[in-house]
Amino acid sequence: MVGLVLAGGGGKALSVLTAERAVSAVPFGGKYRVIDFVLSNCCHSEITQIGVLTQHAPASLHDHIGAGRPWGFDHRGGGVEMLQPYLTRSEAEWYQGTAHAIARNWDRIEALGAARVLVLSGDQVYRMDYRRMLMVHQRRGATVTLAVTRVLPQESRRFGMVQFDREGRVTRLEEKPRRTEATHASMGVYLFETAALGELLRDRPADLVAGVIEPLLKAGEAVHAHEFTGYWEDVGTVASYYRANLELIAPAPRFELLNPRWPVLTRDEERPPVHLGEHADVEESLVANGCRVSGRVRRSVLFPGAVVERGAEVTDSIVYPDTRIGPGAKVDRAILDKHATVGAGAVVGWGDPPHDPAHAWLDGLTLIGKDAEIPAGARVGRGVVIGIHAGFDGLPREIVAGSALPSRAWYEGRV
Amino acid sequence: MSRYAFILAGGLGSRLCLLSERRAKPAVPFGGKYRIIDFTLSNCVNSGIFDIGVLTQYRPLSLNQHIGLGRPWDLDRNRGGVQLLQPSLGSIQSDWYQGTADAIYQNLIHLQRRRIEQVLVLSGDHVYKMDYNLLYAFHKASHAAVTVAVTEVPAESVSSFGILEADRAGRVTGFQEKPEKSDSRLASMGVYLFDRDSLVRWLAEDAELLDSGHDFGKDILPRLVARGEHVYAHRFKDYWQDVGTLDSYYQTNLDFLAARPPLDLADADWVIHTQSAARPPVYFERGGMAVRSFVANGCRIAGGVEHSMLFPGVTVESGAVVRDSIVMQDVVVGRGAVLDHAIVDKDVRVGAGALLGHGDSGTPNRACPGHLSSGLLVVGKGAMVPKDVRVGRNARIGAFVTERDFGGDVPAGGVVDGPQSMH
Repeated sequence: MVGLVLAGGGGKALSVLTAERAVSAVPFGGKYRVIDFVLSNCCHSEITQIGVLTQHAPASLHDHIGAGRPWGFDHRGGGVEMLQPYLTRSEAEWYQGTAHAIARNWDRIEALGAARVLVLSGDQVYRMDYRRMLMVHQRRGATVTLAVTRVLPQESRRFGMVQFDREGRVTRLEEKPRRTEATHASMGVYLFETAALGELLRDRPADLVAGVIEPLLKAGEAVHAHEFTGYWEDVGTVASYYRANLELIAPAPRFELLNPRWPVLTRDEERPPVHLGEHADVEESLVANGCRVSGRVRRSVLFPGAVVERGAEVTDSIVYPDTRIGPGAKVDRAILDKHATVGAGAVVGWGDPPHDPAHAWLDGLTLIGKDAEIPAGARVGRGVVIGIHAGFDGLPREIVAGSALPSRAWYEGRV
Repeated sequence: MSRYAFILAGGLGSRLCLLSERRAKPAVPFGGKYRIIDFTLSNCVNSGIFDIGVLTQYRPLSLNQHIGLGRPWDLDRNRGGVQLLQPSLGSIQSDWYQGTADAIYQNLIHLQRRRIEQVLVLSGDHVYKMDYNLLYAFHKASHAAVTVAVTEVPAESVSSFGILEADRAGRVTGFQEKPEKSDSRLASMGVYLFDRDSLVRWLAEDAELLDSGHDFGKDILPRLVARGEHVYAHRFKDYWQDVGTLDSYYQTNLDFLAARPPLDLADADWVIHTQSAARPPVYFERGGMAVRSFVANGCRIAGGVEHSMLFPGVTVESGAVVRDSIVMQDVVVGRGAVLDHAIVDKDVRVGAGALLGHGDSGTPNRACPGHLSSGLLVVGKGAMVPKDVRVGRNARIGAFVTERDFGGDVPAGGVVDGPQSMH
C-alpha cells in the first residue's frame, strides 16, 4: 500500500494564515503542523512509501518534511517524495484538481508497484490505523473503500455525504447537500485498487469524487464505506481550525495529543524547556518548549519560542512560533502568526465584534499575519485581519472592528 | 584539514550519589531536557568537528542509548560520526582503562588512518559553550605541542582542580593537581589539544612507567611541564561548570532559572542538541501554576511549581507543590504531595499527600554524610514513595524501592534501601 497525501490546497478560507503556506503546513496544537497527523498515521500504520502532492506555497511543507526523518521515512529505497506540478514539452498545467494531480504523477506512483493506493488529505486531524481499513477493503473485495464518519445534520453542507447499505456498500454520494438523509461524511480517505484507479485516470478527470468514484459507482463496481468512529476534524475554516485547537485544552479533550502508543510525530525544534518567570500565571493552556512566559495566559495555545512579557494577558488565543506579546499588552480571541510583535500596552481583539455578516467567517476572531508589528499602545478591533508584514505607518493607532490591513512584501520600503 | 576528538565519558561521578548509581556522569540529566554530555557533543559539531570517539567504561548503557547513532548532533554519517569506544579484549594491551591517559592509549589505533595533525581530548562532564576553533588557532599561533584550556576559579576551590601557572605568552611553567593552595587560579578544564605525534610518543612512554597512574592531570601534564615541553594554556573566559557534586549539580541547574541564565540555551547560533522524545507541549490545567521554573514538553501541571526544573513528562497533580526541586522524566507527583529541595530521578511515583523535605537540615545523611548534608533530599530512579509519608532533609531514597521498603516516616538524614539498592 502506497500513501498519497493531497497537500496542495491554498485554503482561501484561512486567510493570512495560508497566504504563504499550504493548509497542511498550518501550525496546530502547540508544536505540530496539520500534516503531522496524517504522516504519523502512515508511520504507525506501517506505510513506508509516501507521495506528498503539493502546489500552493509548498516551501514550508518541503522544509518541514525534508527527508521524512521524524516519521521514519528516510529509509533506503523509499520514503517520502514531494510531488510538485512540473513542466513537460507538451504540458504546462497546474494541478486542476485531486484526480489530475494524481494522474500527472501516475508513472511514478505505478512504478512503486503497490497493489493499492491510499489517498489521504493533509488537512485533517485524527488518529487512524489504516491497516484496519485495508483489512475490511480486502475482506469485501472492494475496488475502492471510502472512510466515513458521522457528522451533525447541520454540517452536511461542508462535506461530501455518503449513503451506504447494511453491508457497507455505498449507494449514493452527495456533494455538500443542504439537506440529506445521509448521516456520514466522506473523510477524504480513499483506498483504491491501483489498477482500477489507473484505468479511470486515463480520461484525465479533474476531481477524484466526480471523475473517479462516481463513475465507479455508476458502473456497479464495489464501492464500500468504512466507518471511523474516532475524533476527526477538517481544519479548513478559521472557525473549525480555532475550535479544534482550543478543544485540545478542554478538561476532557475529545482528542488527546498525549498517546504513547500513537504519538504525533513532528520535526524537533531543538528548543530549551518552557521558561516561566517570576510573575507567570498560566492555566488551561498548551505551552511548547522554547516559550518564555512572564504574563498571564488563559485557554491559549503557545507555539515554540512565543514570548509573553510581564503584565501581558493572552486569553482564548493561538500564538505561533517566535511571536512576542510585549509588556502589558492584551490579546483576546486572536490568532497571531509567527514572528509577529505586539508592542507594549497594545490591545489585539478590542471592543465588540463586527455585526456585518460578511465577517461571520472570522467568528469574531482577529488574525495577525506573520512578521506584522503592532505598535505600542495600538488597538486592533475584533474581526480585523492584519496582513503579512503589514505596516502601521501613517495609520491611526486604532484599527476598527471588521477592517483589514493589506500584506506587504518584506523588502517594501527598503529598496 | 580533518579533525578528531576523543570525549572521556567513563567517569564514576561517585559524588553525584544516586544520580550516577546506574548511569555514567555524562549521561546524568541536566537543564530540564539535556544530558551533561550534550554540551560537549554540541560544542564539537558547532565547531565543525564531526569525527568523535566517546570513551566509556562505567555503566555505559544509558549513554549508549542516548547517543545512539548520533542523529541529534548530525553525527550519523558515512565517514566519521560518533563511535562509542568501550574497553575491550583482543588487542595487544587490553584491560579496563586505568586512567584518562590509558583510555586514549588503548585507543591509539583510531588515530592510525586519520589524516589529522592534532587530537582534541575532551571531558564529557562539563557544562559550557566553547568554540574549539579558537583553541586550534591559539595552538597553532603559539607553536604548542599541547594546549590546555584553562578557566579562572575562586582561590578557595583550587584544591578541586588541576592548577596551572603560565607566563604572559601562555607558556605553562607549573602544573599541580589539586593543590592545597596556589598563587595561581587557572584551572584546567580537562580540554586538551595535542599534536598527534607528541601525544603518541608521550602515551607510549607513560605506558612503560610502572609508578604512573596513567592520568593526564595527575601524571602526564606535570611531567611534561617539569621537563620543559611546549605546554601552553589557553584562557577561556566564558561560563564553565564542573557539576561534580550533588550540591553543585543542584545549584548549577537552578542557576539556569535566573532572569539572566549563565548560558543562553535558546541561542539559535549555538544550539545544544539532544535526543528528544515525541511529546506534546506542556499542558497547564485549571488551578495549575508555575513560576521561576523550567518546564519541558510532555509535562502536565495541575498543582504548584516554584523555582524548580521539570524534565519531560512530569505530572504535578492538583494540590501538589514542587518547590526548589529538580524533577526528572516521567515522575508523577500525587495529589497534595510536597517536594521541597528534592532531586527526584526518573520514573518516580510520589504518593498523594507525601511530604518530601521537611524539618531541619542539620543532620547529614547517615550513609553518605560527605555529599548529602546541605539539606537536599535525593530519590533514586523508579522509587515508589508511599502516600502521606513524611521524609526529612538529607534523606536518601534508593532506586526502585517500593512502599514495603518504607517503615513509616523517614527522619532527616535517613536512608531507605530496597532489594535493588546498590550502595
